Amino acid sequence: MARTLIVAEIQNGALREATLELVALARKLGGELVSLVIGSEVSGQAETLAKQGGGKVLLADSPKLANYNSDGWADAIQRAVSAEAPDLVLISNTPSGWDVAPKVAAALDAGIITDVFDIENEGDELAFTRRLFNGKFNGRFRITGSPRIATIQPGATAAYEGSDGGSVEPLEIDSAPPRSEFLEIRMAEAGGHDLSKAEIIVSGGRGLAKPENFDAVLKPLVDALGAQMGASRPVVDAGWLPHEYQVGSSGQLVQPKLYVAVGISGAIQHLVGMKSSNYILAINKDPDAPIFEIADLGVVQDLFEFVPKLAAKVKSAKGG
Amino acid sequence: MKILVCVKQVPHKDARLEISSDETWIQDESIKFEINAYDTYALEEALRIKDAGEAEVVILSIGPDRAIQALRTALGMGADRAILVWDDALAGTDSLGIAKALAAVAKAEQPDLILTGLMADDTNYSLTPPMLAELTQLPHVTAVVKETQQNGDIVAERELEGGALEVVKLPRPCLLSIQTGMNDVRYASLKGIMQAKKKPLETKSLADLGLQASDVAPKVTLEKIFLPPRGKGAEIVEGSIDEIATQVVTKIKELGLL
Repeated sequence: MARTLIVAEIQNGALREATLELVALARKLGGELVSLVIGSEVSGQAETLAKQGGGKVLLADSPKLANYNSDGWADAIQRAVSAEAPDLVLISNTPSGWDVAPKVAAALDAGIITDVFDIENEGDELAFTRRLFNGKFNGRFRITGSPRIATIQPGATAAYEGSDGGSVEPLEIDSAPPRSEFLEIRMAEAGGHDLSKAEIIVSGGRGLAKPENFDAVLKPLVDALGAQMGASRPVVDAGWLPHEYQVGSSGQLVQPKLYVAVGISGAIQHLVGMKSSNYILAINKDPDAPIFEIADLGVVQDLFEFVPKLAAKVKSAKGG
Repeated sequence: MKILVCVKQVPHKDARLEISSDETWIQDESIKFEINAYDTYALEEALRIKDAGEAEVVILSIGPDRAIQALRTALGMGADRAILVWDDALAGTDSLGIAKALAAVAKAEQPDLILTGLMADDTNYSLTPPMLAELTQLPHVTAVVKETQQNGDIVAERELEGGALEVVKLPRPCLLSIQTGMNDVRYASLKGIMQAKKKPLETKSLADLGLQASDVAPKVTLEKIFLPPRGKGAEIVEGSIDEIATQVVTKIKELGLL
């Protein structure tokens, strides 16, 4: 691979870990590396990236880039692409990355693959791998033409830890204001259901089939274990439980001593929220469910038969 | 006001999926399909805007004949008319090719608002919405969980990470891609389904859109689809239900949690 452009991201004033993961991935593929830092008064972060392996760092620094907006970001990326003619553009698959990357691809008439977790050199070609069908399958892709654009799943690669002397150069950007206006960032109303300190969490998914079953089937196990109840996104989306029960990338990030996943297939957005748990028990009737990949212990059974049985045994174990 | 809602028909969420013999997609001949869940929230939001005032809701989909079923469902829920685009050349295209076909229709329809789902439940790419916005020169915002109409503008809340929300104001026309859970999606009523049969449903080829097969030639190819390699994975507890439950309890005891 001849030349890679990575798009850095700054969060709370610092380079995101995901950006150093892009550096590591680009370096694994070999060839020249150029980075793009976008923001307002972020020359310090650009210097840091240059020292941490980012190679030549282009700096798009403007008050209009103080908050993410797709117009400003796309303009900066497209200008970097036209200045550097990269063969590969890597962008983190974050809320900003997935918002801007497809726009850039359409503007450049370039091929793009999102949420990639691995890229490999295959002769002169690159093979991109990502999940499909919410993690049930993987897919291997190729892109023709140049540049090839990929958004990369955060956490898929270890961050680059070396140090190298790079340089920082300013990048001229369009002065036109973005069409969308940033108003604020706020936290969603926090509910009273804090799972962050729970020792045991028993979460239910779509496999519970209907809202009444959370009380009828799941709650007895929750109570027997002295646990807290959690849920997967589809359960919350369907309105079966409030948002504050949701475990996952858009809900709560938890790491209890024991996490019990009941009727949860294991979409990536759920796994991100609970994979750091000390011990994971998965109960699902589908032996191919992705949840079994990250669970420590798996029970392939109909939850409606198994969960009441388990609740009863836990209860009697506690009694005796 | 005219609202264009883009929907995709995808395998039903309970369909048993198997890899096709050429290993480039799934076997989709004998499975059930449904409207992509993300898109149902986009459609519901459009219908709510319609219910609150004057709006025409136009459904746009790209897909083979079977997708007519999805369009009939959307019309039954309350959309006013539907457009289905299909052409053999679209079978092997990529997201950008799909976006180009959608954009050709959007340019002809000139909607005030385009709503889509954040992603499709089969591919999970989340590519076409920002592409469509770029190709139609509209501002966009993705992963929207709330929108309000405000004097011709739209104030949208988009989902970030860890429970954070970004509030953005966009002028109309614009495009919003919708995250799941935004609203309670209605069902098509029997009366709605009866009425849907009389609603306009147009089908268009690429030529009807002024496009050629070469315009939608793919740059991205899915070479192979496969089961994720098995890592260490979970230790699967075997035995009768009773034995399994006993072993699980033993494990929880070992963890010091009982």
